[in-house]
Amino acid sequence: MKKKRGAADNLNDKTAIQKHREWRGGRDTAYDYLQWCRLWGILIKWAASHPVQNVKALFRYRWMFTYLTVPSFFDRVCEGHRGAALRGARNNLNYLASDVTKTLTTIFSADMHLHPGSKKAEELNRKIICVDELLPNLLGKGFPDCKMILFQEYPMYLPSLINQHSPVHYIEQSELYGLPADVCPLPSFEAGLAIEDDFPKIGCCMLTSNMPCDGSIMTTMLQERRIGLPSQVLNVPLRWKDEEVQGYAVEEIKSAISFLEEHTGCRFDWDALKEACEVWNRQNECKFEKWDYNRTDIPPHTGSSAWLYRIFEHQAVAGEPLALKNDLKVNKILRRQVAAGKCPKTIRHRAIIWNTPCNNYANFNNWLLNCWGIDSVCEMIDIHGTDLIDTSTHESMLRGLADHYQTATMRAHTKGGNEVILDALWEKYEEYNADMIIMFDQISCKGVSAINGLFEEGAMKRGIPMVRVRQDLMDPTSISRREMRNDINIFMQNVMNEEPVDASLVEFDDDQSW
Amino acid sequence: MKDLKHIHFYENLLEQTGNDLVLQEKEAGGVAVGYTCYYIPEVLLNCGKAFSVRLRAPNTGSLDISQYYMSSFICGYTRALFERAFEGGMNYLDFYASSDTCQQMVRVVENIRDLGLISNPDFGWGIIDAPLKVTPHGLRLYADQITEHILKPLSEKYGVDISDEAIRAAVNEHNEMCAIFEEISELRKEENPRITPREFHILSLVSYASPTSRILPYLRETLEDLRTREADAQNRWRARVVVVGSELDDYDFSEIMENARCYVAADRYCFGSIPGRQQIELNDDEPVLDQVCRFYLETNQCPRFMSQAKIMQRRETIRDLVREYNAEGIVIEQAKFCDFWGYERTLNAQVMQQEYGIPTLGIDREYVVRGSGQLATRMQAFVESLEIKRLQKGGGEK
Repeated sequence: MKKKRGAADNLNDKTAIQKHREWRGGRDTAYDYLQWCRLWGILIKWAASHPVQNVKALFRYRWMFTYLTVPSFFDRVCEGHRGAALRGARNNLNYLASDVTKTLTTIFSADMHLHPGSKKAEELNRKIICVDELLPNLLGKGFPDCKMILFQEYPMYLPSLINQHSPVHYIEQSELYGLPADVCPLPSFEAGLAIEDDFPKIGCCMLTSNMPCDGSIMTTMLQERRIGLPSQVLNVPLRWKDEEVQGYAVEEIKSAISFLEEHTGCRFDWDALKEACEVWNRQNECKFEKWDYNRTDIPPHTGSSAWLYRIFEHQAVAGEPLALKNDLKVNKILRRQVAAGKCPKTIRHRAIIWNTPCNNYANFNNWLLNCWGIDSVCEMIDIHGTDLIDTSTHESMLRGLADHYQTATMRAHTKGGNEVILDALWEKYEEYNADMIIMFDQISCKGVSAINGLFEEGAMKRGIPMVRVRQDLMDPTSISRREMRNDINIFMQNVMNEEPVDASLVEFDDDQSW
Repeated sequence: MKDLKHIHFYENLLEQTGNDLVLQEKEAGGVAVGYTCYYIPEVLLNCGKAFSVRLRAPNTGSLDISQYYMSSFICGYTRALFERAFEGGMNYLDFYASSDTCQQMVRVVENIRDLGLISNPDFGWGIIDAPLKVTPHGLRLYADQITEHILKPLSEKYGVDISDEAIRAAVNEHNEMCAIFEEISELRKEENPRITPREFHILSLVSYASPTSRILPYLRETLEDLRTREADAQNRWRARVVVVGSELDDYDFSEIMENARCYVAADRYCFGSIPGRQQIELNDDEPVLDQVCRFYLETNQCPRFMSQAKIMQRRETIRDLVREYNAEGIVIEQAKFCDFWGYERTLNAQVMQQEYGIPTLGIDREYVVRGSGQLATRMQAFVESLEIKRLQKGGGEK
């Protein structure tokens, strides 16, 4: 049979590394190349700023090797992008790279594993607050003299997106330790890091939480034991639609502030928090504008570079003026394309993507669009923290922060009752004028799996085409990228009776890809 | 030993989720309130004409329907409850009191609600949010949530008396039952105990699954019988252990232990008597609801509690039980797919062994354990290892 020519021809077999940079037309290729060079600039500047420390980190931490593959990851996430989508993606990703490199420098400078006995590192640690990575760090802005670091974000969450193989070793370690294999790979990865002693040794205290789910609660117990920092749990209520839990949520934040004041020796600065909340409100307004654009017939920027940035922004850089600057810049680009009414890609379907995305296949959205013309106009993971924070009083800010936590990443929909995940799905379907639902069947996410039947029956009742895509969040050994694609291929060919936009992408091997 | 008085009656009661005593109480105008977790204070569900039924799904077979609705990676207990409701086995329920403490458990009640599975026009439900640590504001949240989502609906919809007097009356009745269990539990400390693990497990289960007022007379007679009962002349137990773990409502588990001649000296698992069958002391200074809620928060042993104080409390409780009940080892059991107990079992199996020096076995199991050869083999091996340890210490035969 004659092989169909297309985008897959540019990919090496198994590794899916591009043979040459993607041709996107003259202007877009040039823009993409310049942004790629900008990324290298950021990375080289970072590497050269503390060369010895960074090399030590590379040999001390297995997960650090993953960061060497960042340029390839960014290329994957931009696959097939044109026009505003490409510009939005590259700007978001490069901002992310610049912020992450700065934080890595802070982490490694204070890391007692890399600098045993160092007085300078000890001094730095007195002002570092470690916080559970799923607890947004906006609260940290109230301690301007300290740095609040999402503890698991850099060794775990980002590597799991950048390189699909990075979680495997750590998940294996947690299973060898005896932890059950059926628990979500995210807490397993964290547990594996703790067991391997692969978390940087930083900070003066730790704020833990019950975010987002039961598995995370339990892995925290194991991590606290290994890390040994003074810690306090910030208990974020689950039934967040219930007005009666809000008082408790606020009390918990007050208690956390007292704990942090005690351990850092710093006073909480309400003015600094207010300033940050106002910046965050503007960041959020920029996001609302992006969602508005995605409701139009020509959604200018969708997919992983949008949701990934949203997660990072909400969790790590909320209230950060540089992040706002990037938002304003990207929105300007998107606005221009919407005004021009141009759509540089073939869009056949507008899909709602529901449930948590698959970290080990972050560029799944790109494949959907490039192979089948399915544009993911709305994603569950992208929608969180949608209320602006009222900064008029201390109490109103705390109330806003409490809401910010309760509706954080992976929390806004997976906790709070069936209504926040089921009803919200049907609402978004209408709101975004979608014509299909792609339901991630994350096999180890018990809270969502436990309503599988209601999703099926709800879609059937409404006559909505819905495809289930099996995945295991960040464990490619359970379900590979190829198997995920196959779920879509079978659905599109047999249920929708369609031909692909790019037939070369229907079947290819990328099991060894980062 | 001769059969324990009423034991066959109790066994029959445990064959159904809505047993004869439940139906009799319903006939008499009672309001049946189902619940699944220690986070829901049992005693508060027994106010006025309401009565509590801790939900089980005895004789569970195929779980095909629940597998479709809830996937196959969900704990067997929750799937079995859903399946039972789907089959119409829970239509006797008037109210389902649940807590959003385990995401699988809360989905059961939400699925039942959304699919309209209970054919009872009066059916209602309430779901509470509960704290993960014990603090004054946590207690406030807990008490307010119980009032708002359980007590108020029971009062407004079913006319249940939830006054302080009604709560005190419920506590008194509860304490009477607990006093019986405390006395029976003392018998487990005897060197050659006159009650078997299986019998105790049945007594415990039946007390949770039946209306307190109706089971009490039988329990009194059983206690009376036990007071004069004589143990077999020869002590047949090879080892004594404390069983710790997640939801366990299949008394065949205790039978497997018995068959390995392993005596369950203390039962620190969900549906067991620790915690759950200890008397609640009330004072006249504080609101009675707050006192009850504090009692349940402080005694709760769920691994979901995250604070260091609670984590240590759980370990020390196990250590203390081992000492108090003269046990030599610990069995930590976990219902398969339970995230909380999956981690707790793994970690504590190591901590109790290495830091507290108590031999510990960690196992996971299905909801229905009957006929589990694997479980029996592991128990036998554990008993042998305990015997070897005793020999090494020079203790010789038990």
